Amino acid sequence: MLQSTLNVPLEVKPESCSRLSALIEALRQREDTGPFGQPDNFSRVMRDIPTLHFMSMSVFTAAEYDPIFILEANFDGQPGVFWGQLEAAFGPDLREMLRCCKRPLDEDGPLYDAVTASDSRAPLAPYLEARTQRPSVFHHGNRGLTRDRILQEAALFVAVREELDDPGRPGPSPYRGRSATEVHALLRKAMVPAHPWLGMSAPPRISRGERLLDILRLVTFAVLLLLAFSLPAIVVAALMPWKAYVLLLLLVATATGLLIYAKRAPLPGTETSAGPNLTRLILPKVPAILGIVAAYVVVAALVLTPLVSATSHLLAWLGAGNLPATPGDAFWPVARAVLLGLLGLLLVILPGLVLWLRYLERHDSSHDAPHVDERLLREMVRREDWVAQNHMGSIVLIKPGVLRSIIIRAGHLGLGLVLRVVATDGYLGTMRTVHFAHWAFLNNGSRLLFFSNFDHSWDSYLDDFIEKAAGGLTLAWGCGVGFPPTRFLIYDGARHGRRFKNWALASRAVSRFWYSAYPTLTVDQIERNNRIADGLRRPELSEVEARAWISDL
Amino acid sequence: MSALLSQDPIRPAASGLKGAIHRAFLAALPSVFAVARRVWPIPGLGSFRAVTRHDDVREVFGTDTAFRVPYQPNLNVITGGEPFFLGMDDTPEYRAGVAAMRRVVRADDLPALALRTEEAASNILSHAGGRIDVVDLARRVAFDVVAPYFGVPPPAQGRLDVWATRLFEFQFASSPKDIALRREVDEIAPAFRALIDAEIARRKSGGAGAGDDVLDRCLAQQAAGDPWYTDPQIRTSLLCMVVGGPPQWPMVVPQALEQLLQRPEALEAARSAAQASDDDRLRRIVLEAMRFDPLGPGLPRIARRDWSIAQGTRRQTKVRQGATVFVAFSSAMMDDRRVPEPRRFDTDRGAHEYIHFGYGLHECFGKHINHACLPRLLKPLLRHPNLQRAAGKEGTLTKNGIFAERLVVTF
Repeated sequence: MLQSTLNVPLEVKPESCSRLSALIEALRQREDTGPFGQPDNFSRVMRDIPTLHFMSMSVFTAAEYDPIFILEANFDGQPGVFWGQLEAAFGPDLREMLRCCKRPLDEDGPLYDAVTASDSRAPLAPYLEARTQRPSVFHHGNRGLTRDRILQEAALFVAVREELDDPGRPGPSPYRGRSATEVHALLRKAMVPAHPWLGMSAPPRISRGERLLDILRLVTFAVLLLLAFSLPAIVVAALMPWKAYVLLLLLVATATGLLIYAKRAPLPGTETSAGPNLTRLILPKVPAILGIVAAYVVVAALVLTPLVSATSHLLAWLGAGNLPATPGDAFWPVARAVLLGLLGLLLVILPGLVLWLRYLERHDSSHDAPHVDERLLREMVRREDWVAQNHMGSIVLIKPGVLRSIIIRAGHLGLGLVLRVVATDGYLGTMRTVHFAHWAFLNNGSRLLFFSNFDHSWDSYLDDFIEKAAGGLTLAWGCGVGFPPTRFLIYDGARHGRRFKNWALASRAVSRFWYSAYPTLTVDQIERNNRIADGLRRPELSEVEARAWISDL
Repeated sequence: MSALLSQDPIRPAASGLKGAIHRAFLAALPSVFAVARRVWPIPGLGSFRAVTRHDDVREVFGTDTAFRVPYQPNLNVITGGEPFFLGMDDTPEYRAGVAAMRRVVRADDLPALALRTEEAASNILSHAGGRIDVVDLARRVAFDVVAPYFGVPPPAQGRLDVWATRLFEFQFASSPKDIALRREVDEIAPAFRALIDAEIARRKSGGAGAGDDVLDRCLAQQAAGDPWYTDPQIRTSLLCMVVGGPPQWPMVVPQALEQLLQRPEALEAARSAAQASDDDRLRRIVLEAMRFDPLGPGLPRIARRDWSIAQGTRRQTKVRQGATVFVAFSSAMMDDRRVPEPRRFDTDRGAHEYIHFGYGLHECFGKHINHACLPRLLKPLLRHPNLQRAAGKEGTLTKNGIFAERLVVTF
């Protein structure tokens, strides 16, 4: 099932910032009509935007930029349909909000004029589409479960509990003393009449086509990335005798390695206790890595061979070369150059980049005591911890420089593709608290936006991240201005727990409007409901399967 | 023969090559729109444009400050020059007219109207001998229910459904070159006005009405001193309501049933809803069926000033003042940019995905009556367990122009 995550960042007219906040607040008060999580709360949104999982509206202020209004949405299906539903639900409110925003200076200006003109009735959806920002990295918890399926399976869970615990039932429970398979059969019989969808097979959460596409994207990215970074080495390898080339690599690698070794230690006062052990991480994967290298060499050679052959033909035609090489003749020399290029990447280019990065890290400034607006902090605190879930939005400035720019873009792209391939079980690795989260670049890549819809409190959410994925967090966020000191991109950084939290807190904004379609359900509970439902869909379970299934009850 | 005595609500279809081309054109329109939505969303030539995408259809319908309805000249012929809000811009007169009609055509009438519709359909079916033309059924029920609701009696000679349908065709689906139709209208319209005038006079002279029909309410408002309810105004309003409303039913009801008959699962769902008297569910099913073959392909609007449709997008198109814009609402309801999986029969669609009865200032005044009554008209038929197409060609819906002509079912 296609699910979408996106945001619409709109610069706000400074003089209209208060009005915009008031409009968002008024919308929240109109829709948030009862205790959070009660059936009639946000009932209009539930009914009119049936694809929506989570949505937020926030206004971020900053000293460096004018305020920015961001609408964040996570939903099932195609964006166009969602925008139509959103407009049908909130059209007049959104139009007023857009009138508080600046007219874009680019080609979307006329569209802005059309939708914000006095008495305009032009549809808003095209403008929202045009200003949509795709995330650089995103994660979908409970991936592949539509909003309706989540709600349906939650209702089934409640019905199952009521059936099992029915206090009005005379006599002993019919489920007592039964085997797991008998309980499954009895419970299925009891549930099917009120939940007829249990009689149908569940649609796949991730279709084969989607899975294949995810893997293909990652492989393409990896090949292109390796090819791009090793291209200088490939050219040099093609021009030099291989022995001389390898000797040169070894000499440069030794010098670079020594320099890195000399600069490996953290600066005084910035070391943290633990970090990922790369050796332990990489060693078990050596066979897989060798396989990937072989595959890369073949794929890269196949990609480059026609180019080389075509170039030699062109040069021969121009009279600037010898006999043109056929693709068959060119393959092995190209493959050798690719392999030697890879060697150059590993021995020279990557160490060189690491050395450059380390130089930058050693000269970075961190923001140890960022200013937090007490009033905003109180507002944020007042809105949190009402239900099982919470929401956060943050914007940070990105450190300047070519290397940082390349790392953050390639890093985000790669991380996003890896997540699509790896995080397919509903969870983000060992973290079981993230529903929908994403990063996105703003203002021509000078700022980084982060939104997350997560379980439990903000503190415990970040603690969870720091404990289980500090390396990834540092990799993704370490490019932020003022981020705690990092080492080799993934060490330290977010492990400076308190400093990291202060930094993250200062970058947040009040989530003035926040909607969750299932505010009382945690990621874990949704997966549990799904396992129970999947079990009940099946007419029969083996004893082993039934025992595993019944543990969720 | 006088047009007043005609027994055929729909005039004979054009024959020969002209008729064949016309039929083929109408049949091909959904495919033409599908291509247009992708490659040329706002096609046109000279001073004619068509809008095919959901966004643009809503823009043109919704922007009545830039696009007016072209109904006034034909309305003048029908009403004898009396103003009616269907042809007006958003003026105080327009608002007064709509408000006045809302005072006498009330939301709380809908349950009784829907019940009367269902009873009328049941009654006709019980005497049909297990076989009926659904177009005829819908027409009879429409005029049996709607005309008395407004207080318009049948003429002493001729048929009200024929008169109203002819005027409907003249108002919404005619060509200025159709002299024959204009000749019939010139006979029917004055007779229709005289019929209502006579009924007003009869009621005012003490003649009994239905008790609490719309005419009674208008006259009560008049008696109470409301200056809007003059005799000509009342006559014009009732005339336009009966001309604009009931002729739609024999168009959309058989078309919806035809769509259901093409989809066994949807038909079964409709039957279940009818059996369970789940009227809301049945309404959703019928509305969805209508989406596949709505009232018409679209409606015209006239640009009252120069305007850019879809301004700021790549398909932005300028239209000059006076240009005709054909607003293809049938195409809009199939636009997958805003309507999820438009080819799928989905009864849980959002209300905004439907544009059956227009949108904006001139959205059909009788929309709620249609919503309440159309499903109830089909309900008694759907309740019959043996409902199926009649054998042969007459078991498949045929059309004459935009009008449904014949669909025979057995039950």
